[in-house]
Amino acid sequence: MSQISWLIALIPALPLVGFLVNAFLVRNERANGIIASASVLAAFAVTVAAVANLAMLEEDARRISVTLWEWIAVGKLNISIGLLFDPLTAVMTLLVTGVGALIHIFSISYMHHDTRPARYFAYLNLFVFSMLMLVMADNLLLLFLGWEGVGLCSFLLIGHWFERKNVAPGIVPSEAATKAFVVNRIGDAGLLLAMLLLVSRFGTLSFYGIDGVSGYLSQIAEGSFTFVNMGIFGSVAVISAVAMLMLLGVVGKSAQFPLFVWLPDAMAGPTPVSALIHAATMVTAGVYLIVRNHGIFDLAPDATWWVVTLGSLTALIGASAAVTQFDIKRVLAYSTISQLGFMIVAVGIGAYTAAIFHLLTHGLFKALLFLGSGAIIHGLHDVQDMRRMGGLRKSMPTVYRVYIIGALALAGIFPFAGFWSKDEIIAYAWYFNQNHTTAIMLIFSSLLTAFYMGRQVALTFEGESRDTDLHAHEHLGSMKWPLYLLAFGAIVGGILNIPGIHWLHDWLHPVLHEEVELFTWQMGIFAGITTILAAGSGYLGYWLYSRVLPDQIKSGEEDPAHYYLGDIWKGLELGWGIDYAYNRLIVKPYRHLAEFLHTVVDRQAIDGILVEGSARVMGRLAGFGAQGQNGNVRTYALVFLIGVVIVIGYVVIGA
Amino acid sequence: MVPTFLYIGLSALLFTIGVLGVLLRRSALMVFMSIELMLNSANLALVTFANEWQSIDAQIMVFFVITIAAAEVAVGLALLVMIFRRRQSTNIDAMTTLKG
Repeated sequence: MSQISWLIALIPALPLVGFLVNAFLVRNERANGIIASASVLAAFAVTVAAVANLAMLEEDARRISVTLWEWIAVGKLNISIGLLFDPLTAVMTLLVTGVGALIHIFSISYMHHDTRPARYFAYLNLFVFSMLMLVMADNLLLLFLGWEGVGLCSFLLIGHWFERKNVAPGIVPSEAATKAFVVNRIGDAGLLLAMLLLVSRFGTLSFYGIDGVSGYLSQIAEGSFTFVNMGIFGSVAVISAVAMLMLLGVVGKSAQFPLFVWLPDAMAGPTPVSALIHAATMVTAGVYLIVRNHGIFDLAPDATWWVVTLGSLTALIGASAAVTQFDIKRVLAYSTISQLGFMIVAVGIGAYTAAIFHLLTHGLFKALLFLGSGAIIHGLHDVQDMRRMGGLRKSMPTVYRVYIIGALALAGIFPFAGFWSKDEIIAYAWYFNQNHTTAIMLIFSSLLTAFYMGRQVALTFEGESRDTDLHAHEHLGSMKWPLYLLAFGAIVGGILNIPGIHWLHDWLHPVLHEEVELFTWQMGIFAGITTILAAGSGYLGYWLYSRVLPDQIKSGEEDPAHYYLGDIWKGLELGWGIDYAYNRLIVKPYRHLAEFLHTVVDRQAIDGILVEGSARVMGRLAGFGAQGQNGNVRTYALVFLIGVVIVIGYVVIGA
Repeated sequence: MVPTFLYIGLSALLFTIGVLGVLLRRSALMVFMSIELMLNSANLALVTFANEWQSIDAQIMVFFVITIAAAEVAVGLALLVMIFRRRQSTNIDAMTTLKG
């Protein structure tokens, strides 16, 4: 293998070694944290070296396949453990290892005095390894392995505090973990079916093919695809079917409507986990999947209609639900759902670069916000309710400063990172796609985004402390530098793809082959208007909750807005009641069905009739037969006689 | 010369009496005697047919039957004595301990 191949193979190997060492060898909290952080940091360094090597190649040659060994070889189907390193994988890998390393370092202080540090850091490393396998796989099955691996780590880390029966705001970690796992299985079934369909039609799961065998994306690009009978859906183009099934996987993993219900509950895990898995990396796997398979989605307009619709609905639902939350992490969780909606809309309308751009900037500023909220939670000893906060500006000045940066970036205020990526998506939807409904939904969502960030900053940092029992302190330790670096990223992240420079666009061109959009002065004015609106909306939220309403915010009571909006507010607070609907439509009927099967089918039919009934029938028959066995010798003699008469009679007459 | 069918008729009569005795009498001793009666009716039939066919085979069979009947009487009476000692009765209907 060449030098760059070694580098590429080393990237996922380092976190794997970290996982093995932490899981089986080291039992010292400090050593666990340092090993875990060092392995991911080293992976980041190796990634930088690999990307530098990649950048030196010709643009068309920037796709390096490293086949480690053959995994499955059945007939013509040949699946290898192979790594793919191209510009798209490169940016994903940089994000995963870079943000991942910072979050590992943050965790050293955050998880200090935890009861199970070895377990925590081992799982965190396993997560990074799985995520790297997901983005570096050169075939869909290996990607699926990583996809399931990150799901498993998500399950394990949400349930890290499985012995706690109630974490704020009233979630049971073990149940939240199970919920995330089960909801994700629905999506995974879709991805699995998509793979089966691809295997049956194209005979390969490799993206671009290796060793002369062309991958399915190459085959699709050549236009060789047929129709498939999908039962009640009628005859569907294979590509559309694959795209819809993949979309199901994306909806599960990337927390889209209607399967996003697991993400708010996933906040039961430690906050760095929320930052790494449930904001920056794992939940963006769906976006990566669609961008990687953009050749399929480009040719399936009926599927992309669903992508856009679900994405824009999710953006709106997430943003409106975030407005009403009082739990500091739940605001960010719904915000993440909303931002993922933006990315999914972007891939749906064909703005793949914009989607990856937003994925990257969102990874930076949302990780910053989560880590900031983690620092607050740490400083307040596990208080997450914003009604009990207030006045933290004075007691936590460092966190305040970086949090403001994150909030401005998320709200899309010029010139922070979120402004460039979010407005690129909106502009693409409005101008290039002419999809004004979607664009308006996105603009409205971004106004809500600014509003809830203003509200959150006001509730958390402004005014006076509303709970005199809390004694906030700012002991950041190893949490300081990750916050600074991410804040730096949230400020300058937009430079990656500023109109006119468009580095990211050029970098991804070998994969996506997108033309550079020509930005006109109308778009500048458009972006200016949306930014001014967002700034106004953000200031409105800030002003309302720091100047007008703060006296009415009391611990354990409803938001003042609840007085005006009533049940609408309540409905938003419950995430548009999707959980409630699932409870009513699926969980309860399922429970009733199970109860019916238990009492009627199992107890009465199977136990009563089949098992005990057959035993009773045999008992009756035996009792009937036993009557002949009465012990009376003369009865036996009579039976002999009758028998003899019958036999002799038969012999004499019959013969 | 007495006609053969009279011998056979007597044999059948004796056998029927024996069967009815086994089926109807309650005393084990009487059942035992009825069995002997059936054996002897069979002997009579054998001898009659031997005479009819002028063959010696059936007569030899009769000796076997008599011998076995004697052995059977010895065993059967011993059993009967033991039953009487235990129960102070030979009522065969009371002996139902093998009831299923």
